[in-house]
Amino acid sequence: MDEMTQVNRLRSEVPLPGPAELRAEESRLFAEIAASVASTATPSAGTATRAPARTVRDASATARGASAPGAAPASGSPAARPGTTRRLGERPGGPRRPGGLRAALLGNLRRSLAVGTGAAVVALAGAVYVTAVHPPSAGPARVAPSVRMAPVAVTEVLRRAAETVSTEGDLRPRPGQFLFLESQVMCPAEVEEDGRTRRYLDHSVHRVWLPAEGSPLDGGVMSVRHLSPEPYPGESLPAEALRRAGSRSEPARVTGRDDRPDHLRTDYAYLSRLPADPAGMREHLFTGLTGGAIDHYEAWGRAGAMITQAYMPAAQRAALFRVIGTIPGVRTVEGVEDATGRRGVAAAMSNPESGIRHEYIFDPVTYRYLGERVVVVDAARAGAPAGSVLTSTALLKVEVADRAPETAPGTASDGVPEVSHDVSEDAPAMRP
Amino acid sequence: MSDTSRIGAEADDASVIERSRYEPEAFAAVFHRHAPEIKRYVTRRLGADVAEDVVADTFLVAFRGREGYDPSRPSARPWLYGIATNLIRRHMRVELQRLRVLERTGVDPVTEPFTERSDERVSAGAVRRNLAAALAGLPAGHRDVLLLVAWGGLTYPEAAQALGVPVGTVRSRVSRARGKVREHLGGVDPTSVSEESVHG
Repeated sequence: MDEMTQVNRLRSEVPLPGPAELRAEESRLFAEIAASVASTATPSAGTATRAPARTVRDASATARGASAPGAAPASGSPAARPGTTRRLGERPGGPRRPGGLRAALLGNLRRSLAVGTGAAVVALAGAVYVTAVHPPSAGPARVAPSVRMAPVAVTEVLRRAAETVSTEGDLRPRPGQFLFLESQVMCPAEVEEDGRTRRYLDHSVHRVWLPAEGSPLDGGVMSVRHLSPEPYPGESLPAEALRRAGSRSEPARVTGRDDRPDHLRTDYAYLSRLPADPAGMREHLFTGLTGGAIDHYEAWGRAGAMITQAYMPAAQRAALFRVIGTIPGVRTVEGVEDATGRRGVAAAMSNPESGIRHEYIFDPVTYRYLGERVVVVDAARAGAPAGSVLTSTALLKVEVADRAPETAPGTASDGVPEVSHDVSEDAPAMRP
Repeated sequence: MSDTSRIGAEADDASVIERSRYEPEAFAAVFHRHAPEIKRYVTRRLGADVAEDVVADTFLVAFRGREGYDPSRPSARPWLYGIATNLIRRHMRVELQRLRVLERTGVDPVTEPFTERSDERVSAGAVRRNLAAALAGLPAGHRDVLLLVAWGGLTYPEAAQALGVPVGTVRSRVSRARGKVREHLGGVDPTSVSEESVHG
């Protein structure tokens, strides 16, 4: 036996480590990667718009051109003005942009909440994110517990999510019917008090009725009920915020603009016609996209629009989950909570331009979609401390309704009676 | 050891690293491909406790330096071994101290955590103790080259790449290191023909 063999044998009992023995190293590298993702401006994303505090800006109007679907109505428009809806392609003189159902809804919600402040809709090459813009002195909105990032597991999580999708209990709204979605939302809000702007954390329940077919402007209705607010960390609770607790906005028509091209529609009728196989779904998700980093964010945002503010039939939902798991940059975040404190595992993607991580949260056992979260990863870009949770939602209920509630003309008022809606007896809540 | 995971991967390291310039997440693939063997190598040299830090640092240094990766080199192994070797140098005292313990006591602090039966530890015989003495006695640059070849499985050109030295230097260092080891083993293998003077 020569000396080289002897050297080879020395300490050969040291085994090749498995993934568990490499977790510490992996975590350190991934933390570095995450930080790098957050701080790396992607070349073509230089036009994302951050609205100044106290305004909600029409993101599509200010963000770079054609691929921005963020069409949040300008802050000056009335909260709910029946009869002013615009339909696809009707916008005079305006360029046809991918539309902004999601942004429009959010815009509506924000005005309903009288938020319009401390929040901005940021459009990044198509993906719409809601972020809070804080004054420089702002403290953390809410600091998230430290999380373990594990990019490798994301395909697995979404594959399981896909496999858990069951056609049993699948909703099948007919044309003319509505999908009713109820969600709980936490986001920073501001009120004027004694001539000063005061911040607090608004908690509210949002209800929205979406036509099963066609644009949400085509009869969609929404209402907001305020829950007990929380003080902004380190600050006292404004009296105005307390006064608002328990109040309820009148059901109001969904307004805004919807000039999305067909492939960005999210109404049930359209979604139910999409391919139910991953390859076909992937092709749909990447319609008009070439596959660069920015396109991946766009695809992520498109997927979110189908998951969070719409109802997708089980077959298409399963296919979509599988496709999301393959989008480069999507990773898993474990141990996150939705707005009602339900713990889950999230598929997450960082938005380098706005310094936030956007998460879709799933039940860790059933992989049912629970809600979404926006967490700051880059304090400088997001204008809030790293770890702050800027937005947190929980999807509470998805049902089929025969009709949307009557909407009252005029301005929203507090304390309106309970909204009634018809829920089909045989329509169970969504069990993705 | 991880040959199967390297071959059959959809893209070579160079293209993954290239992609990771714009898509940092892609770098995770480099870690998953190579971290196991790098960790085993570093553990063999320093012990599991120190290896964790060194391996984590290796990949952090690699990630931060990914812009400088030479895209004409499809495999990142030499590059990663080179970074790891530099970091191991910072812990040379630990390395030497543990080799000396093995040399003196026959108990190897490095393999102890992985050895279940105490009689295996005891069985660390004269050969191991002599090897430890030989390795501890080598100049650092010689030890690096010898172990990159013997434990890391690098070819001479790969080892040269890892350390940034000419292949000829690698060849001569390996040769001298082997001679030194042979000397310590005291002619354990009478069939081996000495390439250089044993008594230097």
